[in-house]
Amino acid sequence: MTPKTKKIVKIGAILLIVGLLIGLSTAYYMFNKPHRDTQSAKTDFTVTSTQIVQEYLENNAAANEKYLSDDGDSKILEITGTVNNISEDFNGLVVILLKSENDKAGVSCSFTEETNDRAKTLRIGQTVTIKGVIRSGAAYDEDLEMYENVIVEKSNVLNVK
Amino acid sequence: MKKVSIILSSLVLLVALTANSQTSGKLVSTKTQIGFYSHTSVEDISASNSTSISTINVSTGDVVFSVPMQGFEFEKSLMQQHFNSNKFLDTKAFPKAKLKGKITNLSEIDFSKDGTYKANVEGELTIKEVTKPVKETGTIVIKGNTIEVQSKFNVTLADYGITFVKGKPSSNIAKTVEVTVHAEYKPE
Repeated sequence: MTPKTKKIVKIGAILLIVGLLIGLSTAYYMFNKPHRDTQSAKTDFTVTSTQIVQEYLENNAAANEKYLSDDGDSKILEITGTVNNISEDFNGLVVILLKSENDKAGVSCSFTEETNDRAKTLRIGQTVTIKGVIRSGAAYDEDLEMYENVIVEKSNVLNVK
Repeated sequence: MKKVSIILSSLVLLVALTANSQTSGKLVSTKTQIGFYSHTSVEDISASNSTSISTINVSTGDVVFSVPMQGFEFEKSLMQQHFNSNKFLDTKAFPKAKLKGKITNLSEIDFSKDGTYKANVEGELTIKEVTKPVKETGTIVIKGNTIEVQSKFNVTLADYGITFVKGKPSSNIAKTVEVTVHAEYKPE
């Protein structure tokens, strides 16, 4: 090998290793990519619980098209409504139902480890604004024979009136 | 004496009626947890979903679960995105899965009496608009006004048109996944 080819081989090898390292670390990062932080993410839609329930009951397909995303990272909503019910899921996370008295369905919001304490301070009848990610829409289900609520998760309380 | 017996029998009737009104009709659960677990030699994958709603009709034995598919939470966000994508569950086009079944041994379950009962359920499961028959067993625990249901069964993904022929998913995702169901019901 002439010194020149030796040099080319050396540079080639270095480039290959650097490329491999970048590739591997990107793959590693992608693989361990953290979940989207719904609270620092920008709000896509600001609605009242009545508005979004109505939108879903009027045209389910159009509402799904508007609010759901292909990869499951669906729209971030800020929903204002009246606290109608307070419960807890199996993980001990608070679930707040925002629903107006005359509406057929409401918006069910569950919280996170970080936001749970704040949610625990809410009381039935308060008007609040909650930010979270939508998981599914409202609809009448003829097998359940009842209305299903809009489901919002990873919520936080933004405002209490 | 006659008077007493009339009073007594009307009392018995009253008690029977109230007991009946508590236990006939519909049970509703919004406190639910549906998990799935996939095991291969390469990797174990699990996800959990707290967004489902379920009803049990104690007089007919009808059981319904409606499961919002975007409610499945994975440890890794990339897996969650794959799960939701149009290559797998296509949750934007098919936002909900549904289980519709009937308790086939309803006479063995006394919803008005505290206890642990075994329930056999037969029905159909719909995922991505593909409907297949299912047969499963669950445990019903009745304690006062709270009814808790637990069940575990297997779902073969290919039955619902969810197949992986190449790449990582085909080696890392089990062909049959284990589904666990936990729900707490209250009378409607």
